[in-house]
Amino acid sequence: MRVLSIETSCDETSLAVVREDESSFIVEKNIVSSQATIHAQYGGVVPEVAAREHAAWIFPLMKELDIPHDGKGIDAIAVTAGPGLVPALRIGVELGKVLAWSWNKPLVAVNHLEGHLYSVWLETDRPPLFPSLCLLVSGGHTELILMKDHGKYQLLGMTRDDAAGEAFDKVAKLLGLPYPGGPQISKLALEGDPAGIDFPRPMLDSQNLDFSFSGLKTAVRLSVEHHASLHQGGLDPVDRATIAASFQQAVVDTLVHKTLKAVQQTHPKSVILSGGVSANRLLRETLREKLSVVDPNITFHSPAIVFTGDNAAMIGAAGMMKAKRKEFVDPLTLHADPNMNLISL
Amino acid sequence: MMYQSHNEEETKQIARRFASTLKGGETVFLKGDLGTGKTTFVRGVAEYFGFGGVVRSPTFTIMNRYSIDQGPIKVILHMDFYRIEDPSEFTALALEEELGRPDTIAFIEWPEKDTQQFVFATYQIHFSCTGSIHEIEY
Repeated sequence: MRVLSIETSCDETSLAVVREDESSFIVEKNIVSSQATIHAQYGGVVPEVAAREHAAWIFPLMKELDIPHDGKGIDAIAVTAGPGLVPALRIGVELGKVLAWSWNKPLVAVNHLEGHLYSVWLETDRPPLFPSLCLLVSGGHTELILMKDHGKYQLLGMTRDDAAGEAFDKVAKLLGLPYPGGPQISKLALEGDPAGIDFPRPMLDSQNLDFSFSGLKTAVRLSVEHHASLHQGGLDPVDRATIAASFQQAVVDTLVHKTLKAVQQTHPKSVILSGGVSANRLLRETLREKLSVVDPNITFHSPAIVFTGDNAAMIGAAGMMKAKRKEFVDPLTLHADPNMNLISL
Repeated sequence: MMYQSHNEEETKQIARRFASTLKGGETVFLKGDLGTGKTTFVRGVAEYFGFGGVVRSPTFTIMNRYSIDQGPIKVILHMDFYRIEDPSEFTALALEEELGRPDTIAFIEWPEKDTQQFVFATYQIHFSCTGSIHEIEY
């Protein structure tokens, strides 16, 4: 089976063609707007296209994908139907509907979070076994999800305020680092002492599996103000690196602690770490290491770096599983759902 | 009026009092630096209108939508322009379809990013913070 997939839920416009190969998914093509070079030209000028301008991106990307105009060789179409921004989602959903209807191919609606779970099925010969516990961390999400089987999910916990990725970006801003903040903080943290400042590990002792990063952000702000007031020229470079390292350690400790707590409660066969923040090396290595101490039989899975951020390939993988279960939707009635619930699927 | 808040609960209390004056169709700007209580304020408003779900920061999502069913107001839009870099990005948000509807109230964090004043405010609320004391003014 070959699936054409479409993702436009937030910043990125992305299209992919994914093919099934025994237990894994082969990504034939995966084009993401922030990394794409648009070869299509308008009046001899390559236009400047901003993030989230999905309407401007989508047809040039379609051309780049270079598939037959009659959809030959494509067996199904998968599109992210939510959650996300309505005007953004709508561009992808409408494209999916039109292609499905005019090519007379089945259409599946994929939840964006479900896509992130399936990012670890891409290009691997060692897919996770069920039940699988997933920590999904990105700019907009911080959730713990138990995947009991393909298409069967249970939301165990989530952030009550800021997502982990957002905390990275906002702390980067407080430290005067450029956007996006995650990689910048990690780089600066290499020069600092992760135990230098004892930032709060929010909700570590709470019984539930929810997260909160807003208080940590405030603690960093107070710390930046305090350290800056000690020097006339503002924040000292050593203090800056210490704050970055200590902050990163606090986030990683919190994420790993709650994930291990969820492992003890749910006894999974595998653990998945996915989403944009899963590219963070300290988080990957700490979780892998701590997990092997808790139970060496539990396998650890994280996507290739190229599939950590938003991309259509992961939507294609999730969509193919849905297509195999014949969970099709009507191309004439599908709507983008900004609050789409993973559990209601 | 200037209000002082010492914790999240007090910020939500101030928000609930503000929410009780809303009739529908209002657009409220929330101005203030990181960690001064803007999202907590919206949490208080949502609680006032009986929203039972989780109110999270819309920094990444840009727009969160909370459905409520109390009187004429059906939707609270919780927006954040923090990540808007260029005025051209507003067109793609199709805000004209959402703002000012009689069944909708909108709260916008970081409205300063709308440098071309694409969106107009019914109310502006200013948040500031010295140490752990938060000041909220509207």
